[in-house]
Amino acid sequence: MSIAAELQRHFVHDNDFILRQIHLGNEVIAVMGLKTLIDFPQTISMIRDLIQVDDLADHDMRDVVVGLGDDCSSHVFEKLVTEIQLGMLLVVHENSETCVSLIPVPQTLSRSISAPLTENSISGSNSAFNESMETNVGLLRKYTNADDLQLKTYMFGSTVKNRVTVSYLKGAIDPAFLQTLIEAIESRLHLEVNNLQDFTKVLGLSSFNLITHYHTTEMPQSAMRALRNGRAVLFIERVPFALVLPSLFADLYMSEDDNNLTPIYTVLLRLLRLFGILTTLIAPGLYVALVSVNPDVLRFELAHSIAKSRLDVPYPAIVETLLLLIVLELLMEAIIRLPSSIGPTVTMVGGIVLGQAAVSAKLVSNLLIIVLAVITISSATVVGIQNSQSLRVFKYLLLFLAAAFGVLGLMSGLVVLCSYHAGFKTFNLPYLQSTKPKGD
Amino acid sequence: MKMMLMRMVAVVLLFLLSGCWDNKDINHRSLPIAMGVSYNQGSYTIYLDIPSVTEDEEKIQIISDHGDSINEVIDHISMNMESQVDLLHLKVILVDKAFAKHGLSEGIASIIRSRYIAPKTMFVICDEPLDHFFQHIDASSTDDGTAIYDYFQKNAGWSPDIAYTPTWRIFRSIHSYTNDVVIPMIKSGDSTVIKSTGSAIMKNGKMVGKLTNEETLLYNVFNGVNTQGKIEVMGHATVQIVSSRIGNRSSLEQDQPRLRSTVHLKITVMDTRGNPSMVLIKKELQELVTREFMLLFQKVQKAGADVFGLGQHFRDDLTRPQLARWRTDYLPNMKVDLHVKTIVRNTGNLKARK
Repeated sequence: MSIAAELQRHFVHDNDFILRQIHLGNEVIAVMGLKTLIDFPQTISMIRDLIQVDDLADHDMRDVVVGLGDDCSSHVFEKLVTEIQLGMLLVVHENSETCVSLIPVPQTLSRSISAPLTENSISGSNSAFNESMETNVGLLRKYTNADDLQLKTYMFGSTVKNRVTVSYLKGAIDPAFLQTLIEAIESRLHLEVNNLQDFTKVLGLSSFNLITHYHTTEMPQSAMRALRNGRAVLFIERVPFALVLPSLFADLYMSEDDNNLTPIYTVLLRLLRLFGILTTLIAPGLYVALVSVNPDVLRFELAHSIAKSRLDVPYPAIVETLLLLIVLELLMEAIIRLPSSIGPTVTMVGGIVLGQAAVSAKLVSNLLIIVLAVITISSATVVGIQNSQSLRVFKYLLLFLAAAFGVLGLMSGLVVLCSYHAGFKTFNLPYLQSTKPKGD
Repeated sequence: MKMMLMRMVAVVLLFLLSGCWDNKDINHRSLPIAMGVSYNQGSYTIYLDIPSVTEDEEKIQIISDHGDSINEVIDHISMNMESQVDLLHLKVILVDKAFAKHGLSEGIASIIRSRYIAPKTMFVICDEPLDHFFQHIDASSTDDGTAIYDYFQKNAGWSPDIAYTPTWRIFRSIHSYTNDVVIPMIKSGDSTVIKSTGSAIMKNGKMVGKLTNEETLLYNVFNGVNTQGKIEVMGHATVQIVSSRIGNRSSLEQDQPRLRSTVHLKITVMDTRGNPSMVLIKKELQELVTREFMLLFQKVQKAGADVFGLGQHFRDDLTRPQLARWRTDYLPNMKVDLHVKTIVRNTGNLKARK
């Protein structure tokens, strides 16, 4: 049986499989592919353009066909099926039993490059990675433009296949780290990678931790900075951002776009972010500690006015704080989930709940509303979504410790957090190292 | 796995054993701002000045009770009140003269050791019966009742002719050979809430004498307290002290301690009478300060209380048994040479003649 017939039989249930015969002079070639991935009319006219009938007299048909793309005559049948699934066009010349896979004119299945959705930048480039790996790698190449940029692409999965690209700068990356990374990836090529959790398993990193091993970025300039600092940047097909491995403490408050400002402002901005991070962590715990455990730390005037504002509040400070924090978390989650046309309604209703109404109903004190506003504002200063999620969780740890042990508990909670961060490692690289590998 | 279980148990125990349910929220605590302690033949009467926590009206609540010890009375008051009395925010402790003369050592020791009251709490002697004083405060309070607190706040109502003595200094004076303190004395004022009536010289926690407000100012200058903005009236001029600084040099000659002190004063001239020269103003100020200080020093020497902490300068010259006799043997023999050096800031409000 010919290759074309065999393939047709394999794809008999896929009604987007197309097989066409093209007559070129005396010769007939068969082209086949999936019409959902390939723009057929364009592709066929492209092939007609490539093969001039006049040339056929001078050249052997086989040579002409092989010149169109990669010769895969010697490939096993499964490999040909994979080529088709990936969106390649197979050209078969039955007479010489030649089979070639070539890059067709594709259907546009991904959005064009747009502004980042989760990260905003006002002082830097505004292009963002999207779901197409080719676009992402292309963007990275455009931004990096270095001779020692190396890319390795792996195909994961046995039934559902997905591509992962690892990129790094040969001169900047720590060879030991690179070797561990590549070994980890190559030893688990049979696993499926559809999301980041799957990928964490592939890398062999533990899933039960509160800090992220890698952080995601939508911005090519951040990926470029990571590469320059000796880190690996990974792309997963269909995942609209780059993974930067390993994630470091500096990623909490440093962003590449800061460097477009005058150095003084860069430093000031980063200090501001650090202050914001500390505020988010400490503020709820501090409120509870000061109100219920250590009111002696406050100035008398403040203590007196807080006592006044809590006059008819029925719950202890910790319950009151938890109540509002949970409403706040719900609100933040709801706003992500909702379409943008309903979003403002939720914001408005949330504003009423978290605002004066709760105070008027004597459910919470005035000061707590201020504390809550401060937390919400300052939590937005942290760079990166994964990092802000860590902070969201850590503040509860501090809150509970503060409720039980007051200011002392808050302090010991911070010590626990510091030691947790200090002990966190990704592929033996400590989390608390500086932005660049040692010796740099 | 076992390790994980142990950790989880530890975390659970941390919260189960924390005792956090005993924490009282701030609105369930009474925060007295001033406490009055009056002593009468072994029995204490305690007055608490508690700014009341209500939304509509700002006033204070005066609560009093009596018993055999300070702690007993406070416990008693706490029992009878709807919230727990929390002395952590206590800012001022008032004692009556009888208590001060009887000796504060036991009261101070219990305050410092119990740690319920901050050691930085101001200590004040009331120059009139405490019940009268607190009645007056209650009647004249218009704000949230923090008048007595503000009166001793350095960033509010305190002025340099009032002594500034936190509790820990009295504790130190009781246990030190070479340090005594003065405690401010107040009474209810006629048109103001509080009136200062000078300060009490304390020797080992007992009141042995009294200083006027002018003498207290000098005391503060000598102790290096910033007396900025203080106005001094002399024969020919009124001057304002802009800053003051003191340098001391000590020597021990045949068991007679000598101290050379130089007070540097920076002043500006506020107004003059009869167009005096700057030299004259300087000379007058120097004479005035020296004379007043010498009188003050003699008074202190006579009382045998080292309120200036002069003995501190001789601690490395004397052995410990000798230091124990500092107040009785050395201080009365001590000689102090005081030099006042004045700089007139002549570009201030008034330009004086050279």
